[in-house]
This record gives sequence, structure tokens and C-alpha cells, in this order.
Amino acid sequence: MSKFVIGSEPVVGSLIPSKKRDYRVTNRLQEGKRPLYAVVFNFVDSRYFNVFATVGGNRVTVYQCLEGGVIAVLQSYVDEDKDESFYTVSWACNIDGTPFIVAGGLNGIMRIIDAGSEKIHKSFVGHGDSINEIRTQPLKPSLVVSASKDESVRLWNIHTGICILIFAGAGGHRNEVLSVDFHPSDIYRIVSCGMDNTVKIWSMKEFWTYVEKSFTWTDLPSKFPTKYVQFPVFIATVHSNYVDCNRWLGDFMLSKSVDNEIVLWEPKTKDQSPGEGSADILQKYPVPECDIWFIKFSCDFHYNAAAIGNREGKIFVWELQSSPPVLIAKLSHVQSKSPIRQTAMSFDGSTILSCCEDGTIWRWDAVEAS
Amino acid sequence: MASKGSPSASANRSDPLQDASTTGPQEASALLKEILTVIDSIKKQVSANRAVSIKDKMEENRQKLVGVTNHMYKLSTDRRIGRTNDTDRSVDLLTKRQKDALDMHNGVDTSNGDGASSSSQEDAHASTAVLLGSNVPVKNAVRPIKLSEVKRLPPYTTWIFLDRNQRMTEDQSVVGRRRIYYDQTGGEALICSDSEEEVIEDEEEKRDFLESEDYILRLVHNLWVYCFLSLMSNAFAFNHDFVMKRKCISISMTIKEVGLSDEVLESLAQCFSRSPSEVKARYDNLIKEEKAVEGAKHGDNEDVLQNSFLDKDLDAALDSFDNLFCRRCLVFDCRLHGCSQDLVFPAEKQPSLFHTDEETIPCGPHCYRSVLKLQKSTRVSSSMNGDFEEKSAPSSGGAQISSRKKSSGPSARKRVKSCQSESASSNAKNISESSDSENGPGHDTTSTHQSSPRKIKLAGKSGISKRNSKRVAEHVLACMQKRQKKMVASDDCDSFVSGGLCLGDMKPKSHPCKENEDTSTSLHKNAKSPASGRSRRKEPLVQDSQKLGQAPDGSSNEMITDPPATSSDDNSRKEEFVDENVCKQELIDNKSWKAIEKGLFEKGVQIFGRNSCLVARNLLNGMKTCWEVFQYMNCSESNLFCQAGDGANSLVEGYSKVDLIGTIGNNEVRRRSRFLRRRGRVRRLKYTWKSAAYHSIRKRITERKDQPCRQYNPCGCKTACGKQCACLLNGTCCEKYCGCPKSCKNRFRGCHCAKSQCRSRQCPCFAADRECDPDVCRNCWVSCGDGTFGVPSQRGDNYECRNMKLLLKQQQRLMLVMSSHILLGFSLLSDAQTASHLKVLLGRSDVSGWGAFLKFVLDAYRKGDKLKFANHSPDPNCYAKVIMVAGDHRVGIFAKERICAGEELFYDYRYEPDRAPAWARKPETSGSKKEDGAPSSGRAKKLA
Repeated sequence: MSKFVIGSEPVVGSLIPSKKRDYRVTNRLQEGKRPLYAVVFNFVDSRYFNVFATVGGNRVTVYQCLEGGVIAVLQSYVDEDKDESFYTVSWACNIDGTPFIVAGGLNGIMRIIDAGSEKIHKSFVGHGDSINEIRTQPLKPSLVVSASKDESVRLWNIHTGICILIFAGAGGHRNEVLSVDFHPSDIYRIVSCGMDNTVKIWSMKEFWTYVEKSFTWTDLPSKFPTKYVQFPVFIATVHSNYVDCNRWLGDFMLSKSVDNEIVLWEPKTKDQSPGEGSADILQKYPVPECDIWFIKFSCDFHYNAAAIGNREGKIFVWELQSSPPVLIAKLSHVQSKSPIRQTAMSFDGSTILSCCEDGTIWRWDAVEAS
Repeated sequence: MASKGSPSASANRSDPLQDASTTGPQEASALLKEILTVIDSIKKQVSANRAVSIKDKMEENRQKLVGVTNHMYKLSTDRRIGRTNDTDRSVDLLTKRQKDALDMHNGVDTSNGDGASSSSQEDAHASTAVLLGSNVPVKNAVRPIKLSEVKRLPPYTTWIFLDRNQRMTEDQSVVGRRRIYYDQTGGEALICSDSEEEVIEDEEEKRDFLESEDYILRLVHNLWVYCFLSLMSNAFAFNHDFVMKRKCISISMTIKEVGLSDEVLESLAQCFSRSPSEVKARYDNLIKEEKAVEGAKHGDNEDVLQNSFLDKDLDAALDSFDNLFCRRCLVFDCRLHGCSQDLVFPAEKQPSLFHTDEETIPCGPHCYRSVLKLQKSTRVSSSMNGDFEEKSAPSSGGAQISSRKKSSGPSARKRVKSCQSESASSNAKNISESSDSENGPGHDTTSTHQSSPRKIKLAGKSGISKRNSKRVAEHVLACMQKRQKKMVASDDCDSFVSGGLCLGDMKPKSHPCKENEDTSTSLHKNAKSPASGRSRRKEPLVQDSQKLGQAPDGSSNEMITDPPATSSDDNSRKEEFVDENVCKQELIDNKSWKAIEKGLFEKGVQIFGRNSCLVARNLLNGMKTCWEVFQYMNCSESNLFCQAGDGANSLVEGYSKVDLIGTIGNNEVRRRSRFLRRRGRVRRLKYTWKSAAYHSIRKRITERKDQPCRQYNPCGCKTACGKQCACLLNGTCCEKYCGCPKSCKNRFRGCHCAKSQCRSRQCPCFAADRECDPDVCRNCWVSCGDGTFGVPSQRGDNYECRNMKLLLKQQQRLMLVMSSHILLGFSLLSDAQTASHLKVLLGRSDVSGWGAFLKFVLDAYRKGDKLKFANHSPDPNCYAKVIMVAGDHRVGIFAKERICAGEELFYDYRYEPDRAPAWARKPETSGSKKEDGAPSSGRAKKLA
């Protein structure tokens, strides 16, 4: 998609760091030998804004960021199946507010861990293959959505353990689904992307009664009439290769493929013909050496900045909402060499965590401008 | 964006002006160059605008997002508050750990003994927080909590059963074809493309011109116009030099005519990365559009653009439907029977499903019922005034009505009558209505009468009516109907309406009798017969039935109505204005009804009968109201009569046409079908399964060995199938898709099983290896369930037919798993009963090549659903059976024994002994199964 028609060119950010904010490494820890695939802060409950979870191998670990670069290990969970390899983790909570950790990976089993009582709450069996991403609905944090290699996206109610909807079928993805995200304000919308190079926006508006019903369901979860959502409301082919991460930025979309850049675009749906539409590419945030798939970016709570690692262990922090985009900082460390699979930005963006393929977690803290 | 650009654009424009004026006309090429640079600057301008617009968008988005995230923040703090209130009861461990860590962190910092005490507390919970400072990494001191193992599912891809999946084959490749999917929730057919690459290509080939590009083109256009003007002005400035002037004008003219010059086009094309011709086309378009917009300001030519599709004829619109829609599978683009099947129209007209007399509630605010009611009430009062017109008919008309009432009332044909009368009433009403509408909604019929005399004069002058018998006929009809309606306005609706209809029928005949001698004789006949009551009615009945094979009702109407016909002649003069009214109304109707609406209306009448409520609601929703449909229906009907009336002038048989075309045609059909039904009932008493079909079929059933399944193709016979019937020649039964009437002897008549549930060979369908079909069998049915979550309830009633499993897709749920055997296998998700149907294997009667069962072989490489992966076993737990389902042969896999969930399914492929792979052979009998077949090659399993 290199050709752009005049009048629709995107604004491309410059790679010269603006030095708006400076970060330096304050901690580094080796969790194990196995690669870490995900790290995520808890944005669901303000008590835990400094708590984060990582997954790698068959292990889920909960940490806390303390002052002075100190990281405290709070909890650790190990799947008894040694072959399990968790790929993704997300924070959620029960309707009574109990913090939950939802993790999934190679086995395709979603683990709902009750962090409040340090027990497994439920395990969701249903996905036919590995789970690539799990996200939590910010407005109703007991709803999670999972993207899987089995070409489906599923919506779950972790409170009742129900698989409410399956987004797959005639209009669904034709290859692994790699990433999925809830719209921040429109509770009905989710977006998914995957190895079929497409980004699909789905609406569950017509199925919302099922979502509501799932909260009051008292029968066995397996008896629940899980529905298929077969047709997305919008399909965009913004990228020409695997799309491995996408996030809503308001009504716009951030997505990345393996083209060394994050793309911000606006989905323009046509009301008369659902499923069709065009994508207006607004901005591009270049990320050099980011040409392998399964590298995910993360935003701070207010979507002011996004951090993304690359193949060589460097992190690029972009100011998302300015036009043209501003590179806040480029973080590099001599010892950080292995690919960074995912980063996590803290609530205010002052702390950036990165988890690497070599099993290390790096903590970067913003240097106070004094 | 465009608006923003305009000031700068005007700035740009000033350059060429100067250039043009200074350089003079002979340097038009220099001007061109200038223009190119201007285009360049415009380009820059556009991208600058783009940047600005993006910035604006981002800002707008940011504002929105701030609100959203703040809300989210509030939610997350709420959660904290909600929790802290609770925490008295139970502190959750995460919070506790958090606190511990913090304490410890502080403790470390202060080097206090505090940490020890807190850790001793925690031991109850087995693990404590571990601080990992930058310099003191303490590893794995937190004891991990085990997550008990959960057995994972065998890997699979989420797979949704679609009919098209089931039947898609390799050679029916879909690349480059449009596909139609069915939205399960909405039931809508959607056209999609399967592969995304295709779409991309398409887009690149035919990119729409973006707003920005249009914008540039417009600017350039303005530029050109400007240049043209400046050149012109130059020309006049140099008017001392006549030659110069001429030249200048000619240059400017060419510019104007040609539009953009090639060079400009090229440069534009380059900047848009398109071909010049494309740009040119777009440019021309734009200019045209601009002009159109200007024009629109003055005139109203918008409609032309707007409704272009509505002007399309329904037939044209339905063309793709006819070609692509499979009437057997009820889907578009059917993979099983293919596109462009022959259209088979049934010889028997289906009686319309809905009877008007069942519904009396108005369908909405515009329902004709409510409108009629309103008008009737006003009319009753108006009719009291009396009208000179009315007087002619009342005496005879009244008599008719009463007699008509008597005759038809007691008879068992109530339904027929009401239907007829319905239509008739619509006739009458329509005409009055037409006049009403002309004068405005507030007036009723009396007002039209007042206005009519004026028209008489006009008409009288021209004297059209008398010269033209056709016309006259129309007048008479309209007038009579009108009168009729009025005089009975107070009367019961049914009866009076029927009277109206009678008049309508008779009129075409009546008029001819005056002018045309031939017809008059026939009229006499009729006129005599009606004179008195019932006994005579038989006569016309005979007459009619001889001629037309028709229902007696219609004919009786005719004779009764004859007498007034003669009188109508006298009134012809007066009537002409009515005619005019009618004509006008028709004109209006015709104008306001678009071709597609008319087409839809006709279809609607076919489907729903003369029920404007249903037609309007289902087919013309949003286009026409019920009342409009009603009017149109009546109007078109009276037209029919008129036209038929013309025919009657010359040919006596003409009126048969009237009957056929008109409402009575309907009656006839209904009557006939009822007749059939009655016959059927009698027959049922002595029904045995042997009588289910023609004896050849029976023969086939009884000795069905070795009969290959033939592929069924519906025949288009219009009458009972004779020797040439395609089905008969092909050796298949006629099915419900055939054109032949139901009484066709080659039809399979279905079963009449009531309690046996069609599960044994007692049932003729079962015995013939057919599934029951609710359209054909008498008692076969299934309930629809209680509707919760759209899942039909399982077997509510004991008497439901159990022989429709393939038809209803009542299959067991299956899961594709890795087989213990080879590659893929199947296991059940739930326990299956013996003989419960597992899955449809395949569609089309390529089963003419069905396997070892019938000497042919199924190629599962091409056909079949996922059950085709089920493996062979010499000792299977399932068996396959070829069954005729709604005209198609399908293969069902049925359980032979009780199968538990999770057990793998096998069935016997029936390998030919010498071709079976080693593993497939039964240990004891490796090779005594069947006779060896023709030599062939390929995979043992599926190809023979």
C-alpha cells in the first residue's frame, strides 16, 4: 500500500526524537529462560495501577512497580502442563470487583485466575487452537474477548463462564486471528486482525441481548445458546502482510503489520452496504527494525503515547495524538538485544516495561525534567 | 477541504491572468507551462490541506477520547471505592500482597525490623512478596501457585456449516466470481468475495476519484475557463490588429472546446498516478455534473438521476433472479443444480394463500378499509340527494342485487363469492374514487357529478364516444359501476359489490349489441336467460362450461346483469364524462406508478391475491400505501374489462377472456383445486402405499436392486405427463418442482402415514428410499419448537414425521478430530441412538455414481461435508444410505448401533476386494465381498 493518491497521503512522523521525555533503565530482571510474550498493567482497578502481569512459558507472574525502580513479585502461577506456553494476558475483574487475570496461549485454554484469592477461577475450553490475544472490555471488565489461531474471536463472560459469541464464519477471518480490541466507548464494537492481512470491525449490537443474558444465566454454561457473528461491519485491507496488533484510538484505528510502522487510519463505513468501506490512512509512526510478526504495542491509559519494541531490543515511544506524530523517545540499552514482544506503559506513561524473547523484563522510568 | 482551498486557489489564478495579458495570445504554449506550475502548486496546497484536515481530525478525536478515558478512569476508581467498602469482610490477597510489598519496600528503605513482623503474618498464605531491586534480584522466592491441568481440545479451526461449504467442489472454483452468502441472523443474501486479494486488485484498477482529486480537477477547470476569458479579453484588447484577434479567438475557442489540453492532462494524470484518459473522463464528468447542479437550481431534473433504478422494469430486475435463483434449494447461485435452470412454471396456478375475507382489521392508517369506511359514510348521505344518473339503473340494479343475494347467499360458495365481490367492490370504488381524487380529497362523488356536466360538453363536441365503440364500452362500464355502487351504498358491502361486478361483466356485451349485429344475437341469448331465477342459471352454466370450462358463478353473474345493459345504452352520452374521469385517473395512476412498482404489484397479486393490505405491506412497503395499491388494483382491473370489452365487440368469445383475466379466473382455480382435494379425500380412505405412485415406480420400489439412481430434472409438462415427459423418459418420478399438475400419474404421491412416523417400510416414502416431504405427504410434519433462542424443540409430539432428517438437517453434532487410524476421523459430541441420522454426506446425484452400494463410487475428494473424513472400517458402526430428498439424491450416514460421545465413526466404504488397502480388509474375509468391477485406477478409497 505504498501508493497514495494526492490528497490522501498520510502524515508520517519523523524519527528524530523530540526528547520531550527521557527514560532510563531502572530495573532489569530475568524471569526465566522462556520467552516472555506479554506484559500488561492493570488499568481496570485504580488500586492496582502499579501492578502488572507477565506471561511466558507456562508461568503467569504478577508484579508491582515500586518507587526507585523496585519491582516486587506478588504472585506467581504455573500451569501444570509444562508444554503450555502462554501468549497473552489481560486484567479483568468480576462483577463484585475481584481482580482477575486472564491468560491464554498455545493450548487454547483460557485461564481465569482469581488474583484476590490466588486460585484458578475457571478454565475456558473452547478455542480449537492457540490463543493469540485476550482483551478486556473497559466498561464491563467481566467481558473478555479472545483471538485465536482457530480463526475465530470469542466473547466470554468470565463471571459466569459463558462463551457468548463467536465471531467467525462466512465473513470471518481466513487465517489466525492475532489481535483484538474493544472500542473504548462503543460497547458493541470490537476490532480484530490477523494473518489474513485484514482488519475487521464487528458489531454485537444485534446480539447484545445475549450478552446481557449471559450475566443472569444460571444453567450450565455449556447450555448457553452461543451465537455466531458471521459478518463484520467493516473489513479493511490496510496492510499487505500479517496484521499483528490493532487498537482503537477513539474512533480511529492503530494497527501494525511487519512493515516497520504503526498506521493510524479512519474506518469509513458505508451505511447502505455493511461489510464494505474504505480506510483513510491518516498517520504513520515509523518503527525501524520491526519486521517480525507478533510484536505488540501498548498505550498509556489516556492514549497519549504508545510504546513499541523492535527486533533489536529498542523501544520507540510515540506521541499518538499529535499531528504530525512526535517521537517522544527512543529507548535503547546496550544489553537489550533480543526482540521485545510487548511493552506496557503505566497509567501516566512514566514507566515503560518491556518483555523480551530472552525472558527478561526491563523497566524504564521517565526522568524527571529538573 | 475544498472550501479551505478556495482562497489560495484564487491566488493562484492571478498568475495566469498576468501571463496571459503580458505575453499575448500567440504564446499560448507558455501559458500551458504556466498552468502546469500552477497545478503543481495546487498539489502542494492540497497536501497542506490534507495535513490540516488530519490535524483537525486528530484534535477532534483527542477531545472525544479525553472524555472517554476520563470516564474509564472514574469507573476504575469507583471499583476501588466499591471494594474498599467491602474490604472489611475479606481483604483480597492481591491487595494484601501489594501492601506487604510496599511495607517491605519501605522497611528496606528504612532498614527497620518492620518487614520481619509482617512476613510472619503472611506465612499463613504461604508466599510473600519479593522485592527485586535493581541490585538485589532475588529469584523465585514466591512460591508458585499451581494451575491444575486441563485437557486441551484437539486442534481445529472454527468451522461453520454452510450449504455452500457442503457442496463446493474444486472445479466450481470461485476465483473471480461473485459469491452470495446468507446472513443467518438476518436471512439476507449478501454478495461477498472470498479472497481479499481480489478485492485489492479491483480497487487498484478502478479507484474512485477522491474528493481531493476532484477538487484539483475543478480548480484546473476554473483555471481553464479563466484563461479562456483572459484570452478573449486579450483578443479584444488587441483589436487594432484584426489578424491577431482572429488567431486569439481561434486559440481560445479550441481550448474551450477541447477542454483540457493533452499536456495538462498528462501532468494531472501523473500527479494522480492514473492514465490521462481516465482523468479526462472524470474531468468531463465533473464539468457535466457542475452544469447539472446549476441546472438543478433552476429546474428540477434531480428526479431523473434519483430514480433511474426505479424506472427499471421488474422483469429486468428479476432477470438475475430467474437466472441465478435455484427454486429447489431456495438459494442464489446454487452449486448443486447450477445457474440458469430452465424455468418451469406449474400448470396449476396456486391459489393465493390469503383469503381476504379472513381479515377485516385495517392494516394501517392508509388501509383501504379505513378509507372506504370513511367514504362510504359520506356517500350514504350524498346518495340521498339523488342524481339523474342514478335513476336509470336503480330499478333493475336493485332487483339484480336482491336476486343475486338470494342466489348466492345460501350456496356453499361463500368464499368464492366474497372474493369476487371484493374485487368488484374495488372496481366500483375505484372509479368513484378516481373522480373524487380529481376534485380533491374533501369532496365525495356528488361533487364529481357537478363537475361532470362541463365535461360532457367538451366531450360532446368532439363526439368521440359514439364513434368509438371501444370508448363507449368503457363509458358504460365505468358509469354502471359507479351508479351501481351509489345506489347500494347503504347496502351490505358484499352484495352490492358483486352487483357491480356483474355490470362490469355484462357491459362489454351490452354495448356491442347496439352497434354490432353479430354480438347482439349472442346477447339475446344471454338476455333471455337471466330474466328469472335459478332454474335458468344452469343454462348459461352449461354454455360457459362448454366454452370455457368455467365456474358457474361467473356465468350466472353475466346473465343476471344483462338487462340493465340495454338500458345503459341510453345513458351512454351521460356516461362519457365518467369515462373521461376514469381515463384521467388512469393517466395519473400510470404516471405515479413506476414500472418496477407495477411489476411488483402484479407479482403481489399473484402471490397474495387481491389483498391490497398484504401486497402493500410486503412488496410495496415504503413506495405505496395500501390505499394506493387498492386504487390501482381496481383501476387496472377496469382496464382489463375494457380491453376485453373491445374484444367482445368483434368476437363473442371475447367475454370469456374477461372472465379468464379477471377475478373469475381466480375462482376457477380455487374451485378446481378444491375439487381435487375432495377427490383426494375419498381416495384416502382406501389408500395403501401401493397406490402411492404409478406402477412402474412401485415396481422400482419393490425390486429396487441394481437400479441406479437417476438424476431428476423437473419436466415442464403443462398437462398430465404423457410419453414425452422428460421425467418419464429419464426414469424418474415427477416431483413437486415439475410443471405438471398434481394429478400427474408419474408423480410420487407421498405417504399418508399418520402414526407410524414413517420409520419403516410401511411408509411408501421410506420404502422408496425417499424422505417425506411436507409438501407432498399428507400427514408429515414437524413442530417448530417453542422459539426460545430459535432452537426448535426436540420431538415434542409423538406423531411427527421421522423421515425428514436430511431435509431438516437434523443431524447429530460432530467433531473433526485426529483419528486413531489415519488422518482425520470423527467423533460424536453426544451419544447417538441407533439409526439416528448423523450427517448428510453429499448433494447431487452424481450419486448416479454412488458407490459400492449402487455399483458406482463416491468421490469424496470433490463432494461432501466434513463427514467425508470419516474413515473406513470393515466393522463399522455406521452405514450409508442414498436417499431421495426433494428431488436430489443424498447420502446419509446413519448409526448402526449405539455410539457413545467421543467414539470415532466408521462406515464401510465397500471397497472392491482387490482394491482395498491392506488395513481395510477384514481379517477373516479378505476378498469375498462383491464381484470385481471394471478396471480403474486412483486412490483406493474414493476413486474406482
